Amino acid sequence: MTGRFPQRLPQPSNILYRTTQTAWGRSASIASHQARSPLSPLQQISPTRTAAIAFPGQCFRLENNLTVIHQHLPATPVAVVDVWVRAGTNAEPDDWYGMAHFLEHMIFKGSRRVAPGEFDWAIENSGGLTNAATSHDYAHFFIATAAQNLSSTLPYFADILLDAAIPEEEFARERDVVLEEIRSCQDDPDWLGFQALCETLYQNADYGRSILGTEAQVCQRTPNQMRCFHRTLYQPENMTVAIVGGLDQETALALVHKTFNPFGVRSECPPRTRHSLQPLTDIRRTELRLPRLEQARLLLGWLAPGSTDLDTACGLDLLAALLAGGRSSRLIRELREERRLVLDISSEFSLQQGASLLTIAAWLEPQYLEVVEAAIAQQLSELHHHPVAPAELARAKRQLCNDYAFATETPAQLAGLYGYYNTVATAAQSVLYPERIQRLQAEDLQALATQYLHPDCYAVVTLRSL
Amino acid sequence: MLKPVDRHPSSTQAPVERIVLPNGITVITVENTAADIIAARLFWRAGSCWESRSQAGLAHLLATTLTKGTATRSALEIAECVESVGASLGTDAATDYFTLSLKTVTADFAALMHLAGELMRAPSFPPDEVALEQHLTLQNIRAQQERPFSIAYNQLRAAMYPDHPYGVPIMGTEAAVATLTRDDLLTYHQQHFRPDNLTVSIAGCIKPAAAVALVTAVFGDWAAPPTPPLPPQQSPLAIAPSTHKIAQDTQQAIIMLGYLTPAATEADYATLKLLNTYLGNGLSSRLFVELREKRGLAYDVSAFYPTRRDPSQFVAYLGTAPENAEVAIAGLQHEIQRLCQICLPDEELQAAKNKLLGQYALGKQTNAEIAQLYGWYDTIEVGIDFDQTFQAAIAQSPPSKPKQPLSGISPPRPTSPSSAPPPASQPSPSARRRRHQFHD
Repeated sequence: MTGRFPQRLPQPSNILYRTTQTAWGRSASIASHQARSPLSPLQQISPTRTAAIAFPGQCFRLENNLTVIHQHLPATPVAVVDVWVRAGTNAEPDDWYGMAHFLEHMIFKGSRRVAPGEFDWAIENSGGLTNAATSHDYAHFFIATAAQNLSSTLPYFADILLDAAIPEEEFARERDVVLEEIRSCQDDPDWLGFQALCETLYQNADYGRSILGTEAQVCQRTPNQMRCFHRTLYQPENMTVAIVGGLDQETALALVHKTFNPFGVRSECPPRTRHSLQPLTDIRRTELRLPRLEQARLLLGWLAPGSTDLDTACGLDLLAALLAGGRSSRLIRELREERRLVLDISSEFSLQQGASLLTIAAWLEPQYLEVVEAAIAQQLSELHHHPVAPAELARAKRQLCNDYAFATETPAQLAGLYGYYNTVATAAQSVLYPERIQRLQAEDLQALATQYLHPDCYAVVTLRSL
Repeated sequence: MLKPVDRHPSSTQAPVERIVLPNGITVITVENTAADIIAARLFWRAGSCWESRSQAGLAHLLATTLTKGTATRSALEIAECVESVGASLGTDAATDYFTLSLKTVTADFAALMHLAGELMRAPSFPPDEVALEQHLTLQNIRAQQERPFSIAYNQLRAAMYPDHPYGVPIMGTEAAVATLTRDDLLTYHQQHFRPDNLTVSIAGCIKPAAAVALVTAVFGDWAAPPTPPLPPQQSPLAIAPSTHKIAQDTQQAIIMLGYLTPAATEADYATLKLLNTYLGNGLSSRLFVELREKRGLAYDVSAFYPTRRDPSQFVAYLGTAPENAEVAIAGLQHEIQRLCQICLPDEELQAAKNKLLGQYALGKQTNAEIAQLYGWYDTIEVGIDFDQTFQAAIAQSPPSKPKQPLSGISPPRPTSPSSAPPPASQPSPSARRRRHQFHD
């Protein structure tokens, strides 16, 4: 995930971890009723499956096919609107590298009615925050504001999204900003390492392409291409508007209905050739040498199913926690605390729509690269051959379920979670996470580890100093 | 049609209660039943401001070792105790305070507070664990050299605070950390970890009386020593305008301008906070619009002015292609000089106030954020009322005619276009988390 503005503002949503990928979301919240909307043009989408935990918000599809997710939190004075568009890097035509992310920047340059900078001014002048981010599956745009100010700020927000002007002069200026963003990433070895891992894992299939693109690629983009990309993809059927906070349903729906309308005239951008993903059949290795690196990095990645198989995704998330989720986890305990071979080690499962990934990353002295890689493979073999002990399993489950609860305190967290899930699966799936985690048994994990986390088939990137 | 929502952003929070126990512990509570979660922050009047330059990094090393052993538990047993109930517990040293952070679901809170009490009162600092964390800290300090931003910022603060603890990173210096011993940790712990140096701030699903009873149960039998707590290091501050450069072969040059500015307790604090917001906070700020939106000079361009118990720093910075460095320095200097010369139009002044107050409210949403804010204000001795008085000062300042106070600030003296087109970045995860810590 790559954002419009670095780190200064809170992350648009907590489900987007660290680096460039989307990760698994953590949220829980208990049910409320399913009320039918009083507004006639709206069709309520019924929950897709019967579940012990009902979705606490409501999903609607407007007449124009726009999906709206709403949850009223009466105790908060804040309202958040998070708009998710299926217009990420995967949607770029073959040669239009860097387009999705560059467009995300250009959205803020206004529309016919909203001058460049006017939206930022309007939202911040009313005490609100805004930001945006792009990944392979999506671009998303976020505002947080006092609930009573939403009626005055949402019209600006909807207008710049639906009617992006992409003015020529602004395009040239913002290109320089994107190039600076690329430069700052190139000074970041962890970014470079993760980029290399994705390219090694996915190659020329989806998710292998750089979100930012290179300087040369970005310089080939034109305003006309960008307008075409925008008009093709920023259409209601590709968009989810999540509204969470101190705003009742009737008010929220009326506001969205009025402002997210009309959408622009449709266009059709060139196609993207889909290359099939080559499964890992051995160890695929990439070695990078970087100047002035103070410590080496070891990054390992395994491919996993996409968002159609959330049971597997949850199982792999639990395996990542068992491996490196806290000081008592297997890899941290062995490699940091006991053998003292690494400065730190982490493991993440990142959910993606088409093909997810599980990564293990270690920061270490270069002379330990090989021994640590072997130790990780050994721990994976252990998972293949022996079921996880009940106490260890219970601890990891409890950790994940509590993390999930801790990640649902604010409207921003919830809106991000719902919007993201609705982009790669359905919003209602988001609240089933704890239930899925709780259902997993030791033999399930053993089977998943055997199927997906092979100690002899993975992608690996090493970073050493020149 | 839309009905106005009859609610003010600050009106929903429960009252903040503060009491002092007989042994000197301050307890602050905010009840919040919105979620089944409780967050606690235990603040100690300790941190790098209480360490000498020759021991720079001592408070940080204490933070990394405090959770690694007590008289009755090993590092692993402590970790299992926390992780088996899915809680989070961490310790951290800052310049102005030392803190233990705790977050649990309601049912587990009491047990974890008892564990926190044991860690704080009877850490054993196992020699082996101290050696490990000392080694990792030294690696972490070296890893900072990978990151252009860190190199530039370390250079800037060293120039601004040559003899003050604010002048070195919280992790300390390689030379000082290498000499630290377990005895140093024991001494520091004994000197500063005493009940009359402690503020416990709790927010979440717990009644104030129950929270106070719990703190009493954990810490009530702990007597304060007869001698008064040690004050922080007293370091004279003076600044001579200067320029510092480190040349490295990187894609971007990082440029920072820093000015020595008032502490949180001083009269001009709120006005400067407002000016900093106007200049460099957010997408509609002056620096963002002038240097990024109009000129495309940077992706990351911003300003910060941390809230500090001692004189703070007002910093504007950006990252840009090395060939733009001179233009960028001139641009930053121009914008800061402009602030000294012009009176902000009413509309812009009001916008900055709205932005500052709105974002302040958005930063007080979670239990952890609420517990942090009040405990921190109490610890740096601006008091929990600072939450209200600061917001009132922003709303009212400058009284009605904006011109006087804003132009009345003495012209900042630039120290240090600190240009480090440096090396790569992201060191260890712990260093990554720390990156923007100074943005309080």
